[in-house]
Amino acid sequence: MDSECLSFLPRICVALADPRQSPPDDTSLEKLLDWFKDLPNQRNVNGEGLLQQQPCLLEFISSVCKCKDTDHAILSFTLKLTGLLAATEQGFSLLEEEGLLACAFKRGGWCAPDLWHEPSVRSGWLQGLLHTLNHRKALEFVRENGLIKVLLHLQNDPSLFVSSLANEVLVNILNFMTSSKMSNSSDAVGSAQCPLGPDWVSVSSEIIRAGVEALGSKKHPQVIQGLKLLSLVLSQCGEPIRSMLWKDVLVPLEVLINGGSGLLTLPLMTVLQAAVRTPLLSQSDCKVKELMEAMLGAGNGKDCFQCAALIVTLEKCPEELKRKAINIILLPLRCLSTQLQDIEKELEIVVKKQLSQKSSCISLLLQSLSGITELAHTKYPFEDIPQVTCSVMLLLRICSGHRPSFSLPSIVSTQLIGCCKVQRCGLDTLDALSVYNENLDLRHEVFGVLLEYLQNPDSHATVLKKALQAAVRWVGVCSPFPDLLQFISRDLFPALEKRTCDLRWEVRDSTLEFITQMTAALRGNTGYAEVLHTSSMFSILLSSLADVEGYVRASAVGAVGEAVTSLVQQTELLPEEVLTQMMAILSQDTEGFPRRAVVKAFTSWLKGTHPLPALDQSLSAVLSLGGNDLDWEVKIHTLELADVLMERTLTYCPYATQISSSPDETRLTQALRKLKDLGLLDLLLNSLFDCDRPVCEKACSLLLKLRTLAVDIDRSDVVLDVCGNRWGDEVGSRYLNKPQAERSLCVINGAKESCEKMDSDLLSIREISLPDVVRLLDLDSMQRTLILSRDHVVNSPRSLMEDILLSVQQTEENIVDCY
Amino acid sequence: MPEIKVTPLGAGQDVGRSCILVSIGGKNIMLDCGMHMGYNDDRRFPDFSYITQNGRLTEFLDCVIISHFHLDHCGALPYMSEMVGYDGPIYMTHPTKAICPILLEDFRKITVDKKGETNFFTAQMIKDCMKKVVPLNLHQTVQVDEELEIKAYYAGHVLGAAMVQIKVGLESVVYTGDYNMTPDRHLGAAWIDKCRPDILISESTYATTIRDSKRCRERDFLKKVHETVERGGKVLIPVFALGRAQELCILLETFWERMNLKAPIYFSTGLTEKANHYYKLFITWTNQKIRKTFVQRNMFEFKHIKAFDRAYADNPGPMVVFATPGMLHAGQSLHIFKKWAGNEKNMVIMPGYCVQGTVGHKILNGQKKLEMEGRSTLDVKLQVEYMSFSAHADAKGIMQLIRMAEPRNMLLVHGEAKKMEFLKDKIEQEFDISCFMPANGETTTVVTNPNVPVDISLNLLKREMALGGPLPDSKRPRTMHGTLIMKDNSLRLVSPEQALKELGLSEHQLRFTCRVQLHDSHSDSDTLGRIYTYLKSALKNYGVQHLPDSTVIVESIVIKVTSSPEEPNLKVILLSWSYQDEELGSFLSTLLKKGLPS
Repeated sequence: MDSECLSFLPRICVALADPRQSPPDDTSLEKLLDWFKDLPNQRNVNGEGLLQQQPCLLEFISSVCKCKDTDHAILSFTLKLTGLLAATEQGFSLLEEEGLLACAFKRGGWCAPDLWHEPSVRSGWLQGLLHTLNHRKALEFVRENGLIKVLLHLQNDPSLFVSSLANEVLVNILNFMTSSKMSNSSDAVGSAQCPLGPDWVSVSSEIIRAGVEALGSKKHPQVIQGLKLLSLVLSQCGEPIRSMLWKDVLVPLEVLINGGSGLLTLPLMTVLQAAVRTPLLSQSDCKVKELMEAMLGAGNGKDCFQCAALIVTLEKCPEELKRKAINIILLPLRCLSTQLQDIEKELEIVVKKQLSQKSSCISLLLQSLSGITELAHTKYPFEDIPQVTCSVMLLLRICSGHRPSFSLPSIVSTQLIGCCKVQRCGLDTLDALSVYNENLDLRHEVFGVLLEYLQNPDSHATVLKKALQAAVRWVGVCSPFPDLLQFISRDLFPALEKRTCDLRWEVRDSTLEFITQMTAALRGNTGYAEVLHTSSMFSILLSSLADVEGYVRASAVGAVGEAVTSLVQQTELLPEEVLTQMMAILSQDTEGFPRRAVVKAFTSWLKGTHPLPALDQSLSAVLSLGGNDLDWEVKIHTLELADVLMERTLTYCPYATQISSSPDETRLTQALRKLKDLGLLDLLLNSLFDCDRPVCEKACSLLLKLRTLAVDIDRSDVVLDVCGNRWGDEVGSRYLNKPQAERSLCVINGAKESCEKMDSDLLSIREISLPDVVRLLDLDSMQRTLILSRDHVVNSPRSLMEDILLSVQQTEENIVDCY
Repeated sequence: MPEIKVTPLGAGQDVGRSCILVSIGGKNIMLDCGMHMGYNDDRRFPDFSYITQNGRLTEFLDCVIISHFHLDHCGALPYMSEMVGYDGPIYMTHPTKAICPILLEDFRKITVDKKGETNFFTAQMIKDCMKKVVPLNLHQTVQVDEELEIKAYYAGHVLGAAMVQIKVGLESVVYTGDYNMTPDRHLGAAWIDKCRPDILISESTYATTIRDSKRCRERDFLKKVHETVERGGKVLIPVFALGRAQELCILLETFWERMNLKAPIYFSTGLTEKANHYYKLFITWTNQKIRKTFVQRNMFEFKHIKAFDRAYADNPGPMVVFATPGMLHAGQSLHIFKKWAGNEKNMVIMPGYCVQGTVGHKILNGQKKLEMEGRSTLDVKLQVEYMSFSAHADAKGIMQLIRMAEPRNMLLVHGEAKKMEFLKDKIEQEFDISCFMPANGETTTVVTNPNVPVDISLNLLKREMALGGPLPDSKRPRTMHGTLIMKDNSLRLVSPEQALKELGLSEHQLRFTCRVQLHDSHSDSDTLGRIYTYLKSALKNYGVQHLPDSTVIVESIVIKVTSSPEEPNLKVILLSWSYQDEELGSFLSTLLKKGLPS
């Protein structure tokens, strides 16, 4: 344990317990609790050990609880802390001996009872209690002091946070009673699986009874809380609690389900979803499946769609039930797409009615579409997939103003035309449906619908984005079909060209992103590359590099980069115009995104399998501009480019070595000279002293990589200019600041004389060799410091404690401010 | 009864991350989606799981509205929309849409750099989120869907800040976001019309403060800067690139001009250019003075403020440097601070909030020795000043806004509980309205009593007019009689005859009967005759008839007299009248109960 931090504790305790001093901000207290929470894991110190070493904590808890003027934030903190310290049996006993547990957790234990009205205090009380629930003693404390009643009361607290925390504590109690920690008790009786003593049976009965009563309550919020508790028990508790509770709630649950209150559909379904995941599903007397079916068939019909939508997402679900739910989910779309002559089924009548009402039409269709999307995400094989896909396409057409061949209720069409919600959801569904091979034959129709959306001038930007996302997916799955290229060149490109000139930046950007993704998806497709470069699309991409919006320029850089990659695979040529424009962006663009994109494009070209001689001329400028950028992420990308460049230049194919005439060292020297000429070495050294830590860290790792190669070369081979470089002064001052012994140590291979010479000359020298500079910089130690060095916000416990002490002593209030 | 529910997930009794859920007329709206910069884990974002339980955000929320670009109001937006998943519309004003991504990106860059940072949004996510944003114009009603409409009002505070009115049918809520009721150097004062919302949700940062005049704070600031520069010291002002930085720049620029000062002023970041670009672009959102002088000279083209190069930090002599970030926790500002901290002639002015753990927070708390990288310590000898320039309404301003909007209920957020309590009492006393201050997670429910619009038939109005009285006036309510018909989701008030005709119903007659006993020694027919004579003299304006079938009739009222052979002196007078003559019938029965004149 950090003894320094512990030495702060007594002062912290005094400061926090003093009601005259203003409490530090909530975040400091929360972080202090995090530290306490972490102590057992990090330093193997439990509550008891800590309490024995730091008796000030006992005094602190006592004085806060006994103080009449304590602040609610401090009381809440104290309750949580007490819980943490009582998490072990020993810690608990110690606190109990001192009477502090009763003081903190018994109702009326504090001298400021009014603070119970503060939700943060109730929440602190619950969290504290929750922390203690790790051992039998804690549970006995809860039972003996009648805290179950308080918990049941808090279940209906006006605060959402408090009520859900109360439920969590109750579930923990139930769960704990059946855990192994309880089963070795001598008074164990009851079921064979997990014995419960009679006292515990009464506790669990009390909680279960309250749950059952809540379900039968006339008050809606209480029913909701009862259902929440039930679903938590089902998902978190084991036997026998689960079965006991289920047996008792079955009747009221049936009543609620058959009552068909639409307001309860979601919480009821949450309960049933949790039940499906338990062994209760396979027990016929538990009626889980029947209840699910009742939900599907219950109420006014409207709610059954919501239930069906939730059932289709269930992984473990009886097949028959899932099929039934799927049929319900598909019904609205079927009703829309076919003119059902013979409406006999009750549900179909309901669907027709819902579809004809403006309040329910859209939500019904959205549920249907989301249900299909969920099914497609798991590639669930439901019937008539192509027919469903056709229905989705028809719906999308109706939404964009298409008149179906049969008559629709006028309300349906007026509601749907231009409805972005349905359009977005429908396009997501069409996107997801691309996973089914059965749909491949529909590709012409699908592209037709997508094209309609892309061409429609009224399409909302968010709708167009969805259409483009769906198009990428469909292009991907249809890439083996030769007719795809025809569609792209004849239909898609002209539509996209218009979209790249859209008034909305969102549309221009999504279009360019789409072109990048499509080009990447069709990489290696020579036909596509030809279409891209022979059409006017490429010149449009180039003109987008001058867009007024930074986001769009960055996406255009990405698109051009990808397009050039596809081009060089065939021609090995990098168009001059592209380079000029890219360099102009890197040197002049006022925003970081386009500049970052340019460096990334160069990196990807350099990584490519085809060598690009034209690239060499620009690399030096890219490294220099990128290394001096104002945006540290541009610098990081530039260092990544440098990394690739080093890789390419310094490592070579072993087979090539054999045929080469020059010795290895000469080749290495040549390579290093080339890197120096490109400005890569200056970039690394300057970046090492950057004011942004990630840049230094990356530069340091690259220099370490370089050091392994450079130490062996001759000093006179690669010489760097010190003058005019930022790193020169830093290297000089760092070296001179080192003690003599360290200075000698930093020189390897016994070259002491030169080191001494450097000592005297360092301030006047103009040049320094690469091996010298790399040796001089204690890179290992630098890297250690950089890795260990603090984050931008200091997270150390010591700093936190110092801050708390300082802030409580602060007499002058810094008026709260926004950021 | 219809009700409006308000649940803060953040900013309920605190000045943390604003995120308030409003349910109104079956619609769910999220007001602001802020981040708490004080945490570096999930606690920095609102807990959306309370909304997403068993459902997706897109299904639950009808829209999200962002009041302004400060991160405690919009910082969790990319997390919510791209990581939790929300596809619906997000509304904010044009300047907020332009500036919000810059600040989000700025924060992302300093956050991802931190070690161990997980679950944070990327630059791509910020962009994707901004693509979902629908820009708002001031005073323009935007129809979110058929029922839900929103309207933005000017809020001052920062460029593009807006208050929003949310309306479903006749129910409405106004959310102020952060606002300022006094104009400052570059922004105007907040304004809203008398929209009488059911609830006004107001920030209450300075709930108990009547702030000292802004001029005083500015003078203080300028004095401190001037003194330091005069004695050859350097002044560092750590700022976030947008917002307060611009106001301070204008302040220094004009002061330098007036005093003819020569010490250089630098702005250290490349973002300034973009920031100033937006201030120029959205000139209509600034205050009147800037707008007026814009033609001669753009206030945001600074003459004295130059771009900073990191080499300048070592230059001798005085200078003023604005550097980012504002909490001295990274980059240029920290770099310069380290260089200047050791000289007592220098000064650092902190104009905003600092998160615990940052150098800014430490020096504001008075720490004099800072541990830097590699165990070295930094002695803080320079002067440290805190100057809050943030533009929030003070208690007076909040009361002024209530007077402007005339809400039916008030709800306070974005403030400290104790201070809110004070203001709540003041509001309830002065305006006689309920004021709520829910904590985070607590739901406030307000029952509304909405007016139901009813069409009145022309005939009925004409008939009413024919009876005389003033012309119909919305400000002077008066009672109208008629039959209310609910048909095809609309309500109409028509005359009973028209209602019968329209609905194809036949009229039923309703008669009231009453027995009055009185002692009279005359025969039954004589008693009836006496009644006739009495009524004839008492009711001069009414037609009173004595019919041969032993009845007296007054309008529709029929009067008969009977007695029993056992008690011939005890007369039972039977009265019967129709609904239309109810008043007269009651009057007659009361009259006869008193007995006949002898």
